This record gives sequence, C-alpha cells and structure tokens, in this order.
Amino acid sequence: MVARARYYDGKVALAREVGVRPASAELIITDAAGTAVVARWPASELVVLGDTEHEKAPPVVRRGEEARLVIDDAELRRQLALSMPALAALGKPRSRAVPRIALFGATLAAALGLFWLAIDVGSSSVAPYVPYGLQHRLGESVAGDLIGEKPLCRGRAGLAAINNLANRLAEAADYPHPVEVRVVKGGPVNAFTLPGGILVFYSDLIDRARNGNEVAGVLAHEMGHVAHHHAIKGLARQYGIDQLLKSMTGGFSDLGTVGQGGGLLLALRNGRAFERDADATGVELLEKLGLRADGIASFFQRMLEERPGDVAAMIGIWSSHPPTAERIAATRRPATGKPAFSDAEWQSLRAICNVPGSTPRQ
Amino acid sequence: MQHKTFCRAARGSDPFVTDLSAAPWGQPTDQPAVAPTPTDLTPSRPVYDGRLGELYGIYLRHLTLMVLTLGWSRFWGRTRLRRYLWNHVSILGDRFEYRGRGIELFLGFVLVLVVLALWAGLMWLLWEFVFHEHTLPGLGFLNLFYLSIAFIGLPLAFVGQYAGLRYKLSRTRWRGIRCGMAGSAWRYGLLATALNIANALTGQFLTPLVSVNLARPRIANAFVGTQRIDFAGHAGDIYGRYIGYYFLNIGAWVVAMAAAVTIAIAGGKGLGFSGEDFEKLFTDFSLRTVLLIVIAFFVVYTLFGVMILPLRCWWQAYLLRYLVARSRAGNVLFATAVGTRQMWGFMVLNYLIVVLTLGLGWPWVMHRTLRLISGELWIYGAPEGAAIAQPPDRGPRFGEGLLDMFDVTGF
Repeated sequence: MVARARYYDGKVALAREVGVRPASAELIITDAAGTAVVARWPASELVVLGDTEHEKAPPVVRRGEEARLVIDDAELRRQLALSMPALAALGKPRSRAVPRIALFGATLAAALGLFWLAIDVGSSSVAPYVPYGLQHRLGESVAGDLIGEKPLCRGRAGLAAINNLANRLAEAADYPHPVEVRVVKGGPVNAFTLPGGILVFYSDLIDRARNGNEVAGVLAHEMGHVAHHHAIKGLARQYGIDQLLKSMTGGFSDLGTVGQGGGLLLALRNGRAFERDADATGVELLEKLGLRADGIASFFQRMLEERPGDVAAMIGIWSSHPPTAERIAATRRPATGKPAFSDAEWQSLRAICNVPGSTPRQ
Repeated sequence: MQHKTFCRAARGSDPFVTDLSAAPWGQPTDQPAVAPTPTDLTPSRPVYDGRLGELYGIYLRHLTLMVLTLGWSRFWGRTRLRRYLWNHVSILGDRFEYRGRGIELFLGFVLVLVVLALWAGLMWLLWEFVFHEHTLPGLGFLNLFYLSIAFIGLPLAFVGQYAGLRYKLSRTRWRGIRCGMAGSAWRYGLLATALNIANALTGQFLTPLVSVNLARPRIANAFVGTQRIDFAGHAGDIYGRYIGYYFLNIGAWVVAMAAAVTIAIAGGKGLGFSGEDFEKLFTDFSLRTVLLIVIAFFVVYTLFGVMILPLRCWWQAYLLRYLVARSRAGNVLFATAVGTRQMWGFMVLNYLIVVLTLGLGWPWVMHRTLRLISGELWIYGAPEGAAIAQPPDRGPRFGEGLLDMFDVTGF
C-alpha cells in the first residue's frame, strides 16, 4: 500500500508530495512515484501530534525531529492507523458535533445550576456565622458612603421610640445583637438595612406615614431583613455570582461588561426574594408582639394610590422589589392588636427632625 | 468572483492597489525594487475549512471546564481552540500547525503573578519607609499599589500584546517551519505608549502615524523561518483620506448630537414630561430614573452606532487594505479588497453577536472572521520554499502572562 501524503523535511519550507508505506517495524516515506526512499521512520519513534478532534490532519513526526508528514486523506489515515499501532491516533474518527454540543451544553447548564445552588445555599448558611464585629464595621463603612454627607435627625425621644421598638422586634426575631435605627433628614420615601443591624430611615417616610403603625410596619419589614441576614447574604451572593461570571468569561475580554449586566439581573432577582421574606417576617414579628400588623399593607396601598403606575410591576425582572399590589395582598392583616407606638412616642417621632443639632454627621 | 472584486477595487480609488506590477512598495534603494521573480503572481487565498459545530463542541467543553475549575482551565481550553483554528487554515494547500501548550500559558500567568507580588512588595517598602513617615492623608498602601499599577498598566498592556503575538507565532508552524517574532516587546510597549499619548494630546490627529508605526514592528519583525516580512507603509500615504475621515467624523458627531437632543426633547414632550418632572427625576432618585437613563443610553448608543460606526468602518477598511498591500514576504505579495460593509460585519456585528449571546456567540464570531480572511485575503505568488529555512531560535518558553493579566487577549 502506498499512501499519498505531504512531507516537510523540517529544514526548509518545501512541501513534497510523497508516498507512505507502512512496514512491520518502520514507516517508509518514498517519493510520489514510490521508487526512491525519502525517509525511514522506526515505528517505535513515531509520534502523532495532536488529535483528530482538534487537528484536521494531525501531523506525524519522528520523535525529536522537525520533519512532518501530513496526511489529508481521511481514508488513508484510517488505513495507516490500522496497519501501525503507533499511528492508531490517526484513525480515531472525528467526534460528531451535535452529540458533543448536546453533551457539553447539558453539562455546562448542570454545572452552572450546581454553582448557583452552591451560591444560594452557601450564602444562606454562611451569613449568620460572619462575625458580628465584621458585619458592623462593614455596615458602618457602607453607611459612611451612602449617608455620610446627609443630615441626621437627632430628636432624642423620637430616636428612643423607634430604637426601642426595633430592639423589641429584634428580640422577638431571636436576633442576638443590638440594632440601631438612624433617621436621615429628607427623602426619598424609603428605608434600608445595612450589615451589622444598622437600619436607615428617611424622615420623608415618617412624614408621609398616617400613623405609627405604618412606620412600625416598615420597621418590622426592615427587621425581617436583619433577622434573615439579608445584607450579608446579598454580598456573599454578589461575590459568588462575580466569581461564576469571572470563571465563565475569564478567557475573553469584553464579556466582563455583559457579565456585570447579567450579575445585576441575578442580584435584582435576589432582591425580590429577600423582599418577600422580609415582608412575611415583618408581619409575623408584629403579630408575635401582639401589635397591629396592618401598617405596611396600608402604607403600600396609599403609596400605590398616590403613584398609580406601579413601577415594580411594570419593569418586572428589572425591579429590585416585587410588584406592590402583590406585596399588599401578601401582608394584608386585620386592624387588631395594640398600637406599636404610644401617642406621645408617635408625636416625638414625627418631630424627630425638628430639634437643633440635626446636622451632617462628622 | 472574489478575485474580480479585488480587481475592481484595484482599478478604483485606493492608490495602493492600482498597479501591482509597478512595485508600489517603495523599498529602500539598497533592496531590489521589484521581487526577484516578478512573473509568478498566481493569486490564491487562504482556505478555512473549520466547521461551526465542531468549534462549538470544543468551546462548550472549554466553558464547562472553566466553570468546574473556577476559570483555571482557560489556558488549556484556549490552546485547544487555537489548535483547531490554526489547523483548519491552509495557505497554498499547507495547513498551519499550533503547538503551544496549556502549561506554557499557565506558567506565563504564574510568572506574572510572581512579578506582581514582587512589585507589591516594592510598593510596600516604598509606602512603609517613604510615604508612611510623612503621612499623606488618604493614601493607603493599597491605593499606592493600584496607582502604580494604573501608571505602568498601559505600557505593560502593550508589552503584553507584543509578547503574546510573539508567543503565538513561535508556536505556529507552516510547512514544518516555525514562525516567530524578533524585536523587543519593551521597545514596542514604550513606542505604543508614547504614540498613543501623543495621539490623545493632539485630538487623535496622529492616528495614521500611530497605526502605521505600530503596524510596522508587528509586521516587519514577524518571520516564517528565515523569511522576514517586509512592510513599506508610510503614514503620509494615508493622511489625505484620514483628514477627510476626521472632519466627516466631527460633522457626523454634530449631526448625531443634534438628532439626539431633538429626539430627547420631542420624546419628552410626547410623553408629557415637563421641566419640573425632569428636575424631580434627578432630585428624587428612583428606579424610574435608572430606567430612563438606561433607555436614554440605548437611544444615544443606537443613534451614534448608526451614524458614527459606518464612517469608522470605512476608515478601518481603508487602513487594513493599505497595511495588507504594503506587506510582502519575499516575492509573495498581499492584497485585500475588504470594504466598509465587511468591516462593519467584522467590527460591529461581531461585537453585537458576542454581547447579545452573552459570550456564547464567540465561536461563531471566530468562524466568521476566519471565513472573512479566507475570502478576502489575496496572496500573489508562492514563496521560494527552498530558500526559507528553519529559524535558529525557538521563541519564548512561557506564554502570554502579561497579556492574560490585562485581559486583552481575544483567543
């Protein structure tokens, strides 16, 4: 059998059409006519570079030499592979694309799913064990960035009232550390939770509330975030998602930006799940203390009436919060139970920013 | 048919493809002005016979391993992809061969990590004994470290680019002969930094100078065995077209800005937005603000994309045609008739494919690019193979560490 191939001698850039003849202990490379021997390569020194999966025609070399033999004809490669064990790699059929894509596509999806599960479960189980001191330092640093420049309200009685209720709720939630509520003068109508049990309320929210129960409803919701360690969980998940995206896009630039977009979507999805948990826990905590738990639903209801376009519902997956109507339905409770704040406490809370000294924090 | 396209372009307005026989390469006088065998100018094109499905098989396996190894398999995955791509491209019937190894890329990366660690140590010493004593407010050790990295980052990225190219070429063979790259990566890094800074300071007016002078070392230092590639480009040749592009570009920006402002005002009025609402949008920062900013960005981006990018592609296609036509490997000449539309497909469409498929379109982009090259690169003549010998050196031992660090590598 004389197989046709291309031979490069490794010394100069000349391609030579040659014949290839497998013998028992060697591969004989002849000229195209098969009359003159070009090279004799011992079978024990034959090496196939690469494989048929990646190389269209894997080069055959003699170990330690630069010369190469390239056989483009698949049928001839197969025959050579059959006749010489050292060339067996040449005969491996090219893997079919569709089954490979299906296999690796499915494995990739499963690996991503597992990774995601690990982030999800891992962040939930690790968060409570992050040392409180570290959480608090982190919270303080974020607070410095977010509200460091803004004036804080310093009404003593008001702060005492809201902090007192917050710590009662924390106790009801079996949260083992003290919590601290800070009130920032102005808007938006919002409140948020930072790591280390730091709660931030904007005074506009207190001004817009009709009664103490509404503020207590929001406070209990924020305590839900604290009890579930949402702030730390969110950070841990963010870190995990970043790692996942980095590992997927590590080889290629430009994808970082896209990855960040995807990461943001996942974070927002997380956000919505956290909000649902916090809503449910908030209402539970109020009921556990025998306090009126209808505040948050009535507050949402009024916000929805004032701004009929429910932004969260409109923008769906882009929203960090579930649709307001859904949250109202989930938190609606009868108007029973004790008021969360006494009249005096409520008055002092409303006047929390009207005392001298409400200046930017140093 | 493609060849006809080229011939049409050759009769067209590009000065550098008008007459192949008149040797427009402007060689220095001590070199022969015309290639020694001017008669053999048989045209051929590279052949790419890779299949998208096979490429995807390799790519998805790479991605899977990336996730399972937290990205550490990338050196090996990238090597596999290169092996596939190289070996499915052939010139004059001879396939390229890529013999790089994942471990080389990995070691290159580790090496850069070590160098960075040493650099961090140096910065720590500097901070501890110089800055710390005379406390500078707000300057921590990490600030100093990042500042120093930002400072040396730009030159290093260019050094990495050149070194990466050298590595890739040194692992590439054609007809069993190793390719390679001479020249100093550090010199290239300094040159590229200086030229880019100068270009930025002169309002991008030096672009032809930068393009030609950065293409020169990358082309003229490359070799296939003992065959060097000659490059005879001069910025002066392309300045005329660039000045035209420069002012057209400014005009396009002005028109695009005017259009954007008009659309914003008309759109705002159409949606019943008053000035007060607009003010409120930014004082009362809400989700709505974010959403509107995103929409605005999208509109502006699209508008500018439609107006500015085709113009840019027009210039880039011209530049590419020029650089290719001014390159020569011995008696082998090159030419391409790549036009604005193809450049748009290469620069804009490819980018969109990668972004919109969240990276999964990358093999498709690579496939498209190689098909573009194989369809549009014309090679005139054949090398005198007997005169091209194996080069004496084997190239760098490790690969691309710097390139990897600055994440500027494509594949």
